[in-house]
This record gives sequence, structure tokens and C-alpha cells, in this order.
Amino acid sequence: MKRVGGVILLLSTVGLVTLAAQQRIFTNPRPEPYFKALFPAAVAFSPFGGTPLHYKAYAVDPKVNPAAAPIGYIFWTTDLVPQERGYHGPIHLLLGLDTHGVITGAVMDYNSEPYGYFSVDPPPFVAQLKGKSVRDPFRVGADIAAVSRASITMNSAARAVRDATRTMARAFLFPDQIKQ
Amino acid sequence: MMQPAADPWGFEDAAVETWGDILGPQALDLALLAAFIALAMVSFSRKSVALKFVTFAAAIGYMGFAKSYLISITNIFSVIDLNLPVVKYNLAWYLFFGFTIVSTMLWGRLYCGRVCAYGALTQTLDAVLPAWTRVEVPRAVEKRAAWIKYGLLAGVLAYYLITRDLLVYQYVEPFWMFGLFGTTTMWVALGALLAATLVVRNLYCRFLCPVGAALGLLSYLTVFRIKRWSECDTCRICQKACQWGAIEGPKILMTECVRCDDCERLYADTARCPHWRIIDYNSKKIAVLPLLPVR
Repeated sequence: MKRVGGVILLLSTVGLVTLAAQQRIFTNPRPEPYFKALFPAAVAFSPFGGTPLHYKAYAVDPKVNPAAAPIGYIFWTTDLVPQERGYHGPIHLLLGLDTHGVITGAVMDYNSEPYGYFSVDPPPFVAQLKGKSVRDPFRVGADIAAVSRASITMNSAARAVRDATRTMARAFLFPDQIKQ
Repeated sequence: MMQPAADPWGFEDAAVETWGDILGPQALDLALLAAFIALAMVSFSRKSVALKFVTFAAAIGYMGFAKSYLISITNIFSVIDLNLPVVKYNLAWYLFFGFTIVSTMLWGRLYCGRVCAYGALTQTLDAVLPAWTRVEVPRAVEKRAAWIKYGLLAGVLAYYLITRDLLVYQYVEPFWMFGLFGTTTMWVALGALLAATLVVRNLYCRFLCPVGAALGLLSYLTVFRIKRWSECDTCRICQKACQWGAIEGPKILMTECVRCDDCERLYADTARCPHWRIIDYNSKKIAVLPLLPVR
């Protein structure tokens, strides 16, 4: 009797895990509505692509002037640092980074943090990211406000922003153009 | 600071992270958690009542209010989803989680009995507050009520898998209270739960806690079980002393037992446990055994 119960328990656990794995949340494929908030001056955006994956923001439509240089980059933390996880999976932040290595804005698109509603979800969390440089330390308790009892979530989000922006900077920006 | 020529960026946390970089910020947390675990294990192995209450104080103050280190139903969601925090940056959390799993497999629901801040809180209340409000639940009711938590565990897991609503944890466990955040409804419900706990001791832990239910399932594996004497077949002293309804005649229900040590202190009590009294009687061939059960 006990053995049968054990087998049923094992089977249902395996079933639940399979069901759960299928329902994993993937990155929002349509972030375009956020773009204007990240780069208000931009008039055109490139399609998603490149290594690492990103969108480019243009102040002059490259279709009009093919020589136009991008004024910044838009990317997902989950694409740049996919290994980063909070308390319950990746925290999906959409970031804008200008050519001087300054974060032009951040959007909290999705997270499944049980303690997110009082840490990374409230608007002040993303608001404090705006204007920060890739050279900033992004340390919780120093230049990122600490939220007590949500340290796993906060540390993960701060690391995700730091590592994602630095990876983008290394790939597309020049150290001598960075605002200190 | 020296920068390698190949890296003009020179970010202060450059490409290679050393163990010092990783461990440094976590050292204090790890040390305090290790100290707490050591305290809990010493109080458990010494079967000391005084040390158990010291452990409760540390569990409520440090593990609860200071750190909110409590196993939550959300951790079970995380395990099901295979969505766990990054190991190297959260060593203390993994030590805590690992200790809970391993200790449950080795000794049973020791976590519930002295690590969980909420359990420590209600057990302390039970010891501190006057006993006149207390009602002993009849065995038949108790046995059935113990199943509620398994139903709740299954129900919450099913609800989560269908809706993916992680925030359901707020309504099935009171552990958020240590973070002092909650809506008025949640605080009122908690007040009612604590009031009910004054009537039925350890009500939440025994009958309602889904985490306790999950650990109860895990405790089927318990390696080091509580020793029983042959006299336990007939004696009922421990069964009556058990606050957790975990003893049924000669059997200890590992799923309900939280290793509170009450019965083990009785086994060791040469003046009260019939096992020792019989040995004593046989050695002296005198004396009566007023405590031997008649039933």
C-alpha cells in the first residue's frame, strides 16, 4: 500500500516537473512599445539581432541616411546574462544604453520573484538605474538601494544590469567615450 | 590599479572573479548561519530544554526577523520549476536549504521543531502563556486534522501549476510576518491564527503547514529514528507527553514528529520510564511499579 503511494507520488512529481518545464516564461518578443521611453529622441530602431542580441536606436532614420550612427542600444538582461537568476528565475529587464555608456532607462518587463512586489517591481527600482554609467559599481547597499529581506532578488537584478551593460559596452562602445 | 593591456575597460570586477570576491560579501551571513545551525544541532544532540529555548530565541530573532530565512512553499515551486538562485552568490541560502533537506532525511522534521522561526515562535508562546486557554484535541480529530496540510500542499501546488501565481504563498503561510509586510487582511488572518494557536497548541505546524507536509513526506526516509524499548508496546507515557500527536502506541509517526526531544527525555529518565524501572526492579527484586500501565 505504502509502495503504491510512493510510486504514485513519484509519477505525479515527474508529471508536475514536465508540466512546469513546458510553461517556462520566455523573453517578451515584442518590447517595441517601450523603445520611445528609453530613447525619446530616436526616430528609428533596427530589427533585433547582432552579437550580443540587441536593437539599435537611431536619431536619423538609416533608410534616409544609411551612414547614420546609432545613438544607443536596447537589450534584454536575459539575453546578455542568461545565467543570472534571482530567487525564482531570471529577472527580465529591458535596458537602454547610450554611446557614452549611460543607462537611458530600464523597464521591468517580467519577473517571477516571490518578494519582487516590494523590491524590484516598484518604479523606484528602475528609476534609480537611469543615468548610471557602465563604470558604476552597481552594488546593493552602495549605489543601488538595498531592500531588506529581498537581498537575493536585489543582488541578482543589480548584477544582471551591471554585467549586461558592461558586456554591451565591451562589444559596441569605446572606453574613451565613456562618461565618467 | 594595474590594468592588463588587453582590457582597456578595466572594470573593477574584471573578467575573472576570485573566490575572495565571491566569499567576501557573504562571509558574515555564512558564519552566523553556521553558528545558528551549530546551536540547533547541539541543543538537539544534548536533548537540553534550556538550549532548545536559546535556539528558539535565535530562530525568531535572527533567522526570522533579521534574515527571513524560512523554507517557504515558494521554494517548493522553485524546485519544481528548476528555478533556483545562483549558487555562488547565495551560499548561505544553499547552506540553509541543504541543511533542511539533509537534516530531514537524517533525523526527520527537525527543521519544523527548532529552525523554523514561526514554529519557534508558537512553541515559545506555548511555553510562556498560561495554559488555561488550551484545549487538548481528541486523538481521532487530531489524526484526521493532520491530513489537512497534505491536502493544502497538493491544492497549492495544483493552483500554482495552473495559474503560475507565486503570490499565493501569502495566503497559505504566515512566514511573511517576519518581513513585517502584509495587507490588513493578512494581518487580521494572522491574528486569528495566533489566537487559535492559544487554544490548539502548534495548530499551524501540525495541521496546516504545506512546507511541513512536504518535509513530512521527505521524513519517510529518516535514517536515525527515535529508539523504542520493548516496553513501549504497552506503555503510553510518551504518547501522552507528545505535543505533536506523533506517537501511536509503539509507533512513532515520523511525518508528524518534529524531534522536540520530549519523549527522548522520558526514555532517558530512569525514574519515570518503565524500561529503566523494570531493570531497576529486576536488579533489586524489590519495590513496586506504580507507574506501569494497567491497560
